[in-house]
Amino acid sequence: MSFQETAGPGGAGRAETEARVLGEVTEDLREVIGEEYVIDMDITLETTFSQDLELESIEFVALADRLRERYGEAVDFVGFLAKMDVDQVINMRVGEVVRFIVDSLPAPATAGSA
Amino acid sequence: MAEVIANGVRLHVQRLEPRGGASADSPIVVMVHGMVMDNISSFYFSLGTCLADAGCDVICYDLRGHGRSERTRGGYRLADSMADLTGLLDTLGVDRPVHVVGNSYGATLALAFGLEFTARVASLTLIEPPFLIEGLGEEMARSLSQILVAMTDDEVEEWLDNGAGRVINRATRAAQRLLSDTTIATDMLATPAFSAEALAALPIPVLAVYGENSDIIGQAAGLAALVPECTLIVLEHHTHMVLREATGYLRSLLAWWLFDRDTPPPPYVRDTERRFATPEWVTQMVPPPDLNAGRRPAVN
Repeated sequence: MSFQETAGPGGAGRAETEARVLGEVTEDLREVIGEEYVIDMDITLETTFSQDLELESIEFVALADRLRERYGEAVDFVGFLAKMDVDQVINMRVGEVVRFIVDSLPAPATAGSA
Repeated sequence: MAEVIANGVRLHVQRLEPRGGASADSPIVVMVHGMVMDNISSFYFSLGTCLADAGCDVICYDLRGHGRSERTRGGYRLADSMADLTGLLDTLGVDRPVHVVGNSYGATLALAFGLEFTARVASLTLIEPPFLIEGLGEEMARSLSQILVAMTDDEVEEWLDNGAGRVINRATRAAQRLLSDTTIATDMLATPAFSAEALAALPIPVLAVYGENSDIIGQAAGLAALVPECTLIVLEHHTHMVLREATGYLRSLLAWWLFDRDTPPPPYVRDTERRFATPEWVTQMVPPPDLNAGRRPAVN
């Protein structure tokens, strides 16, 4: 898994992994939206998809598609989204998606004293 | 896989499967959204992910001209939409009968598809289908003109530019482009009526869902009377927007339809006190009330 390869010796700490996943989600979000206003926006775990990003629901479909491709079988986005209706999905904060991904990814390999 | 070429058109497709992948006997469910102000996302979030999680192999797609599919100039007749769908199934290698679930125009398309390509269809779920034996094209054109009136009004233009926000602005501008740059309006007018004889011989189980307060509820009885294997569910206090309004119930209804049809359908229990009604400006075809009042200074 690419996750484990990039985790580094001893495995990344949770905060470090969250920061990395936030960076990846941000990159996919910027590509999906593709408009100037989002390029300079500081996207954090607290950023909301509806209020702050004004994301269309079809853009969330495109985001989920990219994330499914990026993380593969390890992250069950279908199961995650199946428990919500469209309003709940679009009213999430970026952090809820990031934490779901981090929770789903296999724990980084621990090397001895980690 | 997000894009395929089907019937010569680039279509945006999302295939949703349960964790670990669908099996050879998983029901294949194809979801067909409504016309103009709709796209893949309505089914994706309401029933798509939920049914995939329950074990179905779900195919959601954007109709030609909608969402992230190619907006061709022509090709919006019912026959074209059916050719797009058969092309899509062929491209995806689907070689067994599918359960087609349609909403609004997508439900009308699903019914026409079931009549024309019976061997490819296992069941039909029709949510709020415009359904007429005579004058179906005129009915389609009427609902399009309703949308056009609502979108070309000066008040609406002002609201879109200043007060509507990005989401509504983008959805409405996309609909305006579809109506102005393509032949969809004239193509809809040419929608052929359904044949009563063909419907009476339809060998496919049909689940029809309408809202009691829908502007087309009057068409439900005719459909149920003509189609031999039709289960009609009418939901109290709901409108044409029942997919959005009663998502929770439709999830359990579809799970019953696909997995437990030998048992009685789940009873409808409203999960909200809210009663939904079709706004008067929709049925009367007049522009919406003053949308810009909130931003304008009061006039004495």
